[in-house]
Formats: sequence, structure tokens, C-alpha cells
Amino acid sequence: MNSVNDRSRDIGPFVPGPDDDMLICRCEEITKGEIRMAVHDGMWTLTEIRRYLRTGMGLCQGQTCSRLVKGIVARELGISPAELEPATSRVPMRPIEMKIFANEAPDEREDG
Amino acid sequence: MKRYDLIIVGAGPSGLSAGIEAAKRGLKVAIFDENEKPGGQLFKQIHKFFGSKEHRAKVRGFVIGQQLLDEADEAGVEVVLNATVIGLYQDKEVVVKRGNEIEHFKGNAIVIATGAAENMVTFPGWTLPGVIGAGAAQTMMNLHGVLPGKKVLMLGSGNVGLVVSFQLEQCGCEVVALVDAAPRVGGYGVHAAKVARTGVPFYLSHTIVKAEGEECVTGVTIAEVDSKFQFIPGTEKHFDVDTICLAVGLSPMSQLLKMAGCKMEDNPKRGGQVPICDEYGRTSLPGVFVAGDVSGIEEASSAMIEGRMAGIAAAEYLGYIEKKDLDTELAALDLALDGLRQGMFAPKNRGKAIEQTEEGIAISQNLLLHGYVADEEIDRFPGVTHRSGVHPVIECTQNIPCNPCQDACKKGCISIGANITSLPIAVEGADCINCGMCVASCSGQAIFLVDEDCGDGTATVTLPYEFLPLPEEGTKGKGLGRDGKVICDAEVVSVKSLKAFDKTSLLTMRVPKEYATKARFFKAV
Amino acid sequence: MKTKAEVIIIGGGIIGCATAYYLAKMGIEVIVLEGSDHIGNGGSSRNGGGVRQSGRDVRELPLVMYGIRNLWPTLSEELEVDCEYHQDGNLRLGKTEKHREILTRLADSARNVGLDVRMIDGDEVRAINPYLSDEVICASWCPTDGHANPLTTTLGYYKMARRLGVTFITGEPVTELRVIKGKIRQVITPNHVYEGENVLVAAGLDSREILTTVGIDIPMTNSLLECLVTEAQPHMFDQMLGTAEADFYGHQTKHGSFVFGGSSGLERYNKDNGTPVNSSKTAPCICRGIMKYFPDLANAKIVRTWAGWMDASSDGVPSLGTVDEIPGLYVACAFNGHGFGIAPAVGEQLAKLIVTGKTDVDLGELHYDRYKAKI
Repeated sequence: MNSVNDRSRDIGPFVPGPDDDMLICRCEEITKGEIRMAVHDGMWTLTEIRRYLRTGMGLCQGQTCSRLVKGIVARELGISPAELEPATSRVPMRPIEMKIFANEAPDEREDG
Repeated sequence: MKRYDLIIVGAGPSGLSAGIEAAKRGLKVAIFDENEKPGGQLFKQIHKFFGSKEHRAKVRGFVIGQQLLDEADEAGVEVVLNATVIGLYQDKEVVVKRGNEIEHFKGNAIVIATGAAENMVTFPGWTLPGVIGAGAAQTMMNLHGVLPGKKVLMLGSGNVGLVVSFQLEQCGCEVVALVDAAPRVGGYGVHAAKVARTGVPFYLSHTIVKAEGEECVTGVTIAEVDSKFQFIPGTEKHFDVDTICLAVGLSPMSQLLKMAGCKMEDNPKRGGQVPICDEYGRTSLPGVFVAGDVSGIEEASSAMIEGRMAGIAAAEYLGYIEKKDLDTELAALDLALDGLRQGMFAPKNRGKAIEQTEEGIAISQNLLLHGYVADEEIDRFPGVTHRSGVHPVIECTQNIPCNPCQDACKKGCISIGANITSLPIAVEGADCINCGMCVASCSGQAIFLVDEDCGDGTATVTLPYEFLPLPEEGTKGKGLGRDGKVICDAEVVSVKSLKAFDKTSLLTMRVPKEYATKARFFKAV
Repeated sequence: MKTKAEVIIIGGGIIGCATAYYLAKMGIEVIVLEGSDHIGNGGSSRNGGGVRQSGRDVRELPLVMYGIRNLWPTLSEELEVDCEYHQDGNLRLGKTEKHREILTRLADSARNVGLDVRMIDGDEVRAINPYLSDEVICASWCPTDGHANPLTTTLGYYKMARRLGVTFITGEPVTELRVIKGKIRQVITPNHVYEGENVLVAAGLDSREILTTVGIDIPMTNSLLECLVTEAQPHMFDQMLGTAEADFYGHQTKHGSFVFGGSSGLERYNKDNGTPVNSSKTAPCICRGIMKYFPDLANAKIVRTWAGWMDASSDGVPSLGTVDEIPGLYVACAFNGHGFGIAPAVGEQLAKLIVTGKTDVDLGELHYDRYKAKI
């Protein structure tokens, strides 16, 4: 995205909502209220939200919650969800046991 | 490091199709899939597919899956199962977890065909056990033979919600309601109709207020919403359920592409984060292609064509075929793909409120609002005619690309024509021999054979029946209308299960003749 | 939008955010410019979370010890964020006699500057941490070392600084500094010109190119740091761990997951694809290293790997402090991958330096101009 983002822009005050205690990130048990508050603490990108709250850091790595978090953050900032760049994706695509990750199959050499 | 010409991630319809086309042109292909069975979503699809013969219409999803597997096998594609691709690295390197070890592979070209994952919506109680995705319910039922629950509420009236609701009923679950916040049914009218006639009530412009329960779901409350999707006070309805299925859309699983540095875009029309690619699946990374839902949510039929395109494009990229051959092949596949993307549900028509069919007939509003065509609307459509003797009544009322019914009748009773989105017409003067092939061939279960007056005050209605146990001849029960409500007494005259019907049994019931045009489902008492 | 302030800080990592915070506490007007889209996007969010004194070059020791004594213990309270700071000691493990030599040398020189670090043998190591394998024959043990959460600490500094009125602007990469009438004055981005009497360049590797525009060179190269994290595990131990040859380091977090960093030995030659990325060889290598020390972790699932670029200087310590030849210009970069633990002290001291011209800890040995040829 790389566009200038002045974090002193006024996004209005945090107004408590009736469903602030609803879980959004199931793996890490982060609520809607925590996400909304984090935006008012200055976390305006999905990457910052993730690092600040741990949303998307659990076993599913955001497969379930990232779309939901995006919508909540966008609404709090008064922007369209499409303007928020999702956080990076990383290896491994699925959780993998240390002993398996460590066990690299021997290289097959063509020249015997 | 072992190197293949082409590595494909995902052995679903698009991945297998890509592998087949590439291997047929001489490439050494490996497909890695994390599941123990290949075929992606195909093996869960127990219903018959739509389209035309080249799109494998009227074949059940899991059979198409098996066909693709056999073709892949014959072409020499190496399909590796229980193999999770945990990373797509720079330099087109793939790391695969298999059993107790990981292995590094390189591909001269890569096709990512990893499909999509289900979306969630939130409401108080959404994290209770018992709230599951519709796709997850399908996997439980159709792959593992496990009943997801006993009483289900389905949220979402797109094709997934409609199809899975029917499959839940086939398993013996009670679907207490089908709910959607949108004002109109999102999926095909024929899918909705086959669900509605079994008695499932549709609640459009409604959504879930909350799910109740302590340790698991025990009930759910829904309410009507206004045009701004705000709840309208006083419209709450409560249902006792143990399962809530969410069919609220899919999002592409494009993480592998992102990891490798592929240029992505956020495209709501394609389902979210998708790789930027051309119409043949080429991404911003040279030699990395995409096909199927990962590049944009659609369905299995289009995924297969996209897969074939990617496989052929990879073959040209690696010099196994000439560019001019690539152009010819891709043009032909483009036409096939285009053929699917026509009609009322075409991507280009998404979001539009269509009022009339291509023929100028007013679309059934009742179908869009309640899931069934109203009695006073049904006669508008060219598939619905009245004459003496047994004749087909084709209750197909929306333009979708589909024509197996035309080929099914050897007597020319049903006509669609060259444009496969046209509504089927019951041909005047054609001689119906009551063979039942049209009833069994209609993937939408929308064709009935009716004798409106048997001469003794009764009529017979033959309908497609895909439930167990099959009723016996002579069983007395009730006839249900298109709205799923009991409207008359009915008695089973016969239940025919021929091999040619491919597991769609034909149930013929006798009803009082004034219900010949209304009774469309049978329920034993 | 605000473009003038008393201090302009280039770099929204923990150094920039911490300095901004301490300056704001003293009532100073600050603008922080971050080139990427995210606060703390460089080493600040990618490191292994060590808050340690042991194993450091002696030139950095006074500063980091100051921070651990005065700032870290109350940081969570002050920033109203859970920094997850644990002061449960640091074991630097050795498996061979060569390791013992390296560790002993480091421990001796650190003790000379007043750090409480000593060598212990294998049995004593296992008494402190019973999960370690028999392969460990010795370790240096520093009880006042520890670890913390770099993500929340960095963003905590940002949050508080912002609350105290600091202007943070992301997506503003600095292309040029300009000296006006002999003093530092302007900071130029593709979009705006910012002005301030004082400019702090704390932009990691990017500092070098920015400083070049005013004729200052801080020699740095990049070196890839690669890490991984497991799913949450039942609580095992609280010490920070490292090894003599730095083949892995890490700790168990409050969350229960283990964060480990390590190397394949090929770091200097790694590349990225637009974002720092692991090579396919590294994570398996780190896993093998970890399992030799912690056989109990063999079944722990790795959920994520990541990488980051370290700003490496030839002598392994940062350049900090004033740039005398350009009044008003300050630098804080080249932390060689261990800038996290030292950041609160750096931030606080730099703030004091900018406002009063003096520091409590002598920064003389970390002067940017120290590099000399060998003869």
C-alpha cells in the first residue's frame, strides 16, 4: 500500500459497544472490544493489531479471524476494509512438529 | 533436490485437471495434496452437476472426482496424498511434509490450486460447539459418515447453503429453517425448490441474533433485518437446534502465493485476497500459475476448465507445445468457460436484481423470497403445460447453463436449443412414453411426470426421490405442495430405481386430481 | 499535517519510539517518520526477545545494565502494556571445550565491568533448567538477564508517545537530510519537507543511505536473522537461553509458546523477495539444534517462521550519540540484532542528550566516528 498515514488523524473517541465481549480470534481468545480499543491506542494496520493483540497468531494463523478483524478495524477507522493490507503469510502453511520439520529427507543424487 | 517439470499444489478439480493436461503433453507432473483422498471438494458433492455434456452435467460430483483421478493416473501424473505443502519458497521450491519427514522439491513451473476456506460471521454464541461451517458439515456427513447434529439451522441461501441443507435432510437431520440476511435467495431456484418442498421454511431478510447454550448450542434466535441490516424489534423467532451451519461465503487460501512474494490484490468480487493473474492463471511470479477457487471463488465446473488452462499454459511456458497451439487450445477453453458464465447467475450479473428471464417471462418472486414457485406463478413457464396422459412438467424457471433434460428424452418432449441457458420447453405433440429418464436426469430435481386425470378422480405425480428408506408400493401418506405444506392424501403407486437413473429413485404417487398441478413431494405418515 | 517540531526522529522502531516517548515526557515536540506502513516493522518486531547483559561487547554493557536496573522493572506499568518482562536469568550453553573457552572469555571481561555473570558446569545447568539434555557441559549464568515481548514493548512505547502528543507518520520514507547554514534542519520525503532543530536517525539499515546525503557514513551490512515460534506448551522454564556459538537462542513466552532464533550459517548470502524471508534450509537446521538441547520439545508444533535483517557493523556494537560535525544531528543504529534489550536505556539517554547535552551513561565508546584502519 505504502501511502502516507498520519496517526494523529482524529478517528473519534472509543464508544463502548454492546458486543465488545464477543470473541473474534478464537485461537487466542481476543474480543471485539480489545480490537476496537487497540485501534484507539494507535494500531491502525492489521500487522500492528496482530503484533499488539496476538489476533491471527494462534494455530490457524488467522484463517478464521482475519476477515472478521479486518472488518472491525476498518469500521473503527472509518475506511473501507479493502484499504487495509492483510498481514504477511509465512511458512509453515500448517503447524508442523519440530521433529518432523527437522527431519529432511536425504537428497537423491542423479550421479549416484 | 528432486525436480519436476510441474508441481501442482492441491489435487482438487482444478489441480487434477491441470495435471492431466500437462502430463498429456509430456510434462513430468507431481500433485501434492494434504488430504488422504484426492478430489478436493468433489468427493463431498453427492449431487448431480449442472451444465452441458462437456461440463459433465448430470454426473455426481464424487463420480467426476473419480473420473479425474483415473484420467490423471492414465496420463502418468504422480498424485501424492497425505503430503502437506508447508512452504512455497523463492526459486520455485516447495517443501512437503509427508509422514515423519519433510522433502524439498523444485518445479520448473508451479500451479497453486489450493482452493478456499469457509468464512465465518459472528453473533453472540458463535464460538459454541455446534456452530460449524456448511462445508465442514458436508465433510462430516459425506466423507466420514458422521451426523453433524439432529436439528440444524442453516445460515446462507447461496448454492452451498441450499445444497448442504438438502444433504443434511438426506442424512436424517431436521433442517428447521434456512435463513439469509439478504432479501432474495442467492443460489439456484431449483436447489431452493427441492429444499422447500420437503417442508423447510425460508426466512429471507433475517439473520441470527444469538446462539444459546452453555456447553454447546441448544437453541438459536433469528430476527428480521431492514434494508440497513439492522434488527427490526418484535420480529424475533426462536428455534431449538443443536447445530448452526454457516454458509456465508468462501475465501481463497492464497497463503502459499503470498509467502513466495506473489503480487496480490483485495478483490471482493473474487472472494478476497487473490493473486493478480491473467485469464490463463499466470501470476506475477514467472512460472507460477493459479487455477480454481484460489484465484477467485466460483465453482467446480469452472475450476476444472481453469485447471486445464493452467496446465496447458505451463506446458507452453516450458516449451512442450508451441505458442500457436497454446492460443488455439486456450481459445476453445475460453469458450467453454464462457458458456458456464452465462445466465441469471453469471458473474457479470452478480448483485443485479433480475426481473425477467431471457425469454421475457417474469421471474418468480415467490421463489426468490420463499424458496418455491407459487401455484399462481408456475403456469408462466414453457416447461409447464397441460394435456391428457402422462407428460413431463419441467419446473425450471431461471436461466442457468444446463441441458441434460433435452438429451434425456429420446422422444423429443423437451427442448432447450443451442443456447443452453434457455428455459426448457415442453414440446407440443411429442409422444411421452413415461420412461422417467427426464426426471432422473434433471440435476435440479425439477422435472415431474404427471397424469392430470387418470379417469377415476385421481392423478399421478412421479417425482425424483433421493431419501432412504424408500417407501414401499401401497404406502399411504400425504402429498406436500411446493411450499412443503401438507395439501392432500397420497398413496405410493410405485418406486423405481433403475441403474440408468443413477441413484435417483422415481416415486409415483396417486393424489386427488385437483392436486395434480400442486402436489410435488411425498411424506409417509 | 504537522511538519515542524523540535525533534524529528527517522525510524519507527523501538529506538525511535522509545526516544520519542522520553522526549515527550520532558515536554518536547516530536515527529516520528516511519518509511514502511507499520510501526516497529524492522528488527523491533523480529528479534528473539532477549533482555540481556551477558554475551555483549563490554562497550555496550554500562548502557544495558543501566536499563535493566532502572527502566525495565517498571516498564509495563509505565507503558500500560504487558511487556512480559522476566528477569529469570540467562544461560549461554556450551557443548564442547571450545564453547567453554568462548563463554569463559566473555564472562571474564563482563565481570571486569561489574556484571554478575559466572561459569557453571553441566550439572548446575540442569539444576537450574532440568529440561536441558546431557550434551550441555557448561554455561555462563547471568541471573539478572531475562527476556520480554518485543512486539508489545515497541508498540507500547508507540502508544504512550502518541498519547503524549508525538506525531507518528507511516508510509513516509526519508530520501534526504539537508543542512541549512551549517546546522541540520530539513528531512525530506517524496511527499513533504519536515523541519526541526534536532534530527535523530534511528532507521536501522536504511540509516546509512539517509546519512550519506549529509556526508556521514556509518558502515553497515545486512545479515539475515531467522526465527520460529511454536504453539503454546505447558510451562517449562523462564530463563533466556543462548549458545556459545549463537546457533540458537530463545525463551518460553507468557503465552506458552517458544520463540527461537537461529542460523543456518548461510545468513550472509541470503536474499529476500520484497520482505525478509527464510531460506528453506534454516528452520529445519534450527529445529535440529533445539532438539539436541531440548529433546522434550520434539513434538511441539512450529506455527510460524519469520526473518528480519540485522544491521551489522564491523565491530558488533552500535553507533550512538551526537554527530559533532553537524550540530543537531544524532544517530542510533547498527544494533547488530541485539537492540531490543538495550532500547529503553538508549531511548532515555538519547532524550537526555538531545535536551540537556549530557547523559548518565558514557556513550563515548559507541561514537559513530570510531572506525580506524588496521595499521
